[in-house]
Amino acid sequence: MSVLHALGRQVIKTVQGIGQATIMLAQAIIGKPQPRKSFPLLIRQLYVVGVQSMLIIIISGLFIGMVLGLQGYTILVDFGAEQALGPMVALSLLRELGPVVTALLFAGRAGSALTAEIGLMRATEQLSSLEMMAVDPLRRVVAPRFWAGVISMPLLALMFNAVGIYGGFMVGVEWLGVDDGAFWSVMQASVSWQDDIMNGVIKSLVFAVVVTWIALFKGYTATPTSPGISAATTQTVVYSSLAVLGLDFILTAIMFG
Amino acid sequence: MTTRTMELLVGIFAAAAIAAVLFLALQVANTSDTTRGDTYTLIAKFDNIGGLKVRSPVKVGGVVVGRVSAIRLEGEYYEPVVEMKISSRYNRFPETSTASVLTSGIIGEQYIGLEPGFIDEYVQILGDGGEVINTNSAMVLENLIGQFLFSQGDN
Amino acid sequence: MGNLVELDNVHFARGERLIYEGLTLHIPRGKITGVLGPSGCGKTTLLRFIGGQLIAEKGSVHFAGKNMAKLSRRELYETRKRMSMLFQSGALFAELTVAENVAFPLREHTKLPDNIIQTIVKMKLESVGLRGAGQLMPSELSGGMARRAALARSIALDPEMVMYDEPFAGQDPISMGVLVKLIDELNKTLGLTSIVVSHDVKEVMSIADHLIVMANKKVVGQGTPQELRDSGSELVRQFLKGEADGPVPFHLPATAYHQDLLGELS
Repeated sequence: MSVLHALGRQVIKTVQGIGQATIMLAQAIIGKPQPRKSFPLLIRQLYVVGVQSMLIIIISGLFIGMVLGLQGYTILVDFGAEQALGPMVALSLLRELGPVVTALLFAGRAGSALTAEIGLMRATEQLSSLEMMAVDPLRRVVAPRFWAGVISMPLLALMFNAVGIYGGFMVGVEWLGVDDGAFWSVMQASVSWQDDIMNGVIKSLVFAVVVTWIALFKGYTATPTSPGISAATTQTVVYSSLAVLGLDFILTAIMFG
Repeated sequence: MTTRTMELLVGIFAAAAIAAVLFLALQVANTSDTTRGDTYTLIAKFDNIGGLKVRSPVKVGGVVVGRVSAIRLEGEYYEPVVEMKISSRYNRFPETSTASVLTSGIIGEQYIGLEPGFIDEYVQILGDGGEVINTNSAMVLENLIGQFLFSQGDN
Repeated sequence: MGNLVELDNVHFARGERLIYEGLTLHIPRGKITGVLGPSGCGKTTLLRFIGGQLIAEKGSVHFAGKNMAKLSRRELYETRKRMSMLFQSGALFAELTVAENVAFPLREHTKLPDNIIQTIVKMKLESVGLRGAGQLMPSELSGGMARRAALARSIALDPEMVMYDEPFAGQDPISMGVLVKLIDELNKTLGLTSIVVSHDVKEVMSIADHLIVMANKKVVGQGTPQELRDSGSELVRQFLKGEADGPVPFHLPATAYHQDLLGELS
């Protein structure tokens, strides 16, 4: 019985949380836009969320592309099909690894920072202080961070893809001696702009919304104490990662299934 | 961090993203994809389509002119019907044309090879929804081996 | 002059814990009102009620004749522009300089050109004695200076009322003296209504025109400092004199002491 009670409590809590998070996001992003005020805020957050995540994304992309090149080559060469290395690297990156790994890195790099920052703003009464200055913290603090996350992540994923494919090219062509022309032309023959690249971007957009949303909500509702903020930061990374991996399966099933 | 430096860095960020898109568009994806833009539909019935899939290419002499858009069974005897979207640039296939399910290489992907037929005054040009009557089905390895053994037996 | 703020029979509970049980008080316009009471009696919560951040379960909160609970979101924000609050931590925005912090409400709520905003910022900083600190970041300020900078920010829009949340907590005697002087001076020169929430009895008594003593979820005494000193209430006297035991007991309610210690034996 007590197990059922606990389960029921958990379900109610979860549904409540989703409801609160939806209300928070709706209040933050629905309303008359004020470009004069919000544009500089957006730029600032694009810097914090996007530019500062660029280095880790590019380096990770390069290494993952290189590993794909190496692993793919050793498998394909047994079948004499090393010319299929190009599409293998490109499709793995564009369809799966680009959006997913970017989202996971983004959750760890930018998501946790967003949670901690907003949690600390709550703890140091900056959010209350905004409210008392008749400035809505949802519009002022949450909204620009949300848009910055949603804009940045797909762009970061595209960079990840490009750099990763280049990494695969370096290992496959420059190092292992796959034919240069075949690498690109076989890739071009099997990669479609619409089905592979755009579907990857759509995936990335969905992940961006979910990860940024979780990060902001966890920060906004964090208990304003040191253990509270540290717990919220951990939850952001854990929940975002799980959400990304789960959604990835669903999206893949819809898009490529 | 002044606002100007921040703007500059965000600008670099955006530029890097644009560069990535250009790279993906020009170097990685198939930009000469003929199935974008206007297309019209042709259908063809086969006995066996083998490993043909939706999105498999339709080629004329090795040049992609369209893609398979749907595969279904039709009629009383469940005949496989393949629907193809062909670029409107290539809209002069006569009804005497032939469609074959072919394989690129030994283990490569399967595609439809379209061969334009002869044209004379009695032959009409296939329009949207037109059917290619002459078809050659896919080679199925088991059948080929069977035929081979059968013919060996005769000798 | 009348009253700027009136609370009538406010009931409020946070979860299971009852915070207010019929709180009734008024804040006279144009004066400094001190709100005294032991820690944890809901003094800061009171300020959140006046600012409309919390809504009472029962009873009403009026600011300048308006019922805060009945205002629409927009009206509430309009009303908040007429008041401001100095938070305990100062709550300066960590990513902005001191001058930009003070300029923040001006940039948000006015369309003044930049040079006028700069001038106003300098005037406000001068009035708290921090004109020299305009280009510093909040992290470079001491606690007392941060509070003064926050004070400059809270008067940037020339509000009718300023609420001070524990302005003296954790301050050395000098900065405490500075803050006492500032609160008093600003109230007189700007014609403000001030609410000072504190448990530093001596400092509050020295500047307050009106005092409210809270304890046990209620207001236990209200009046001028002199009236309260002469008050018959034991509770008020205990608090004003700072005695350890009295109507507010030293011991939290518990089972009898000897029973607690010997309970396991018997």
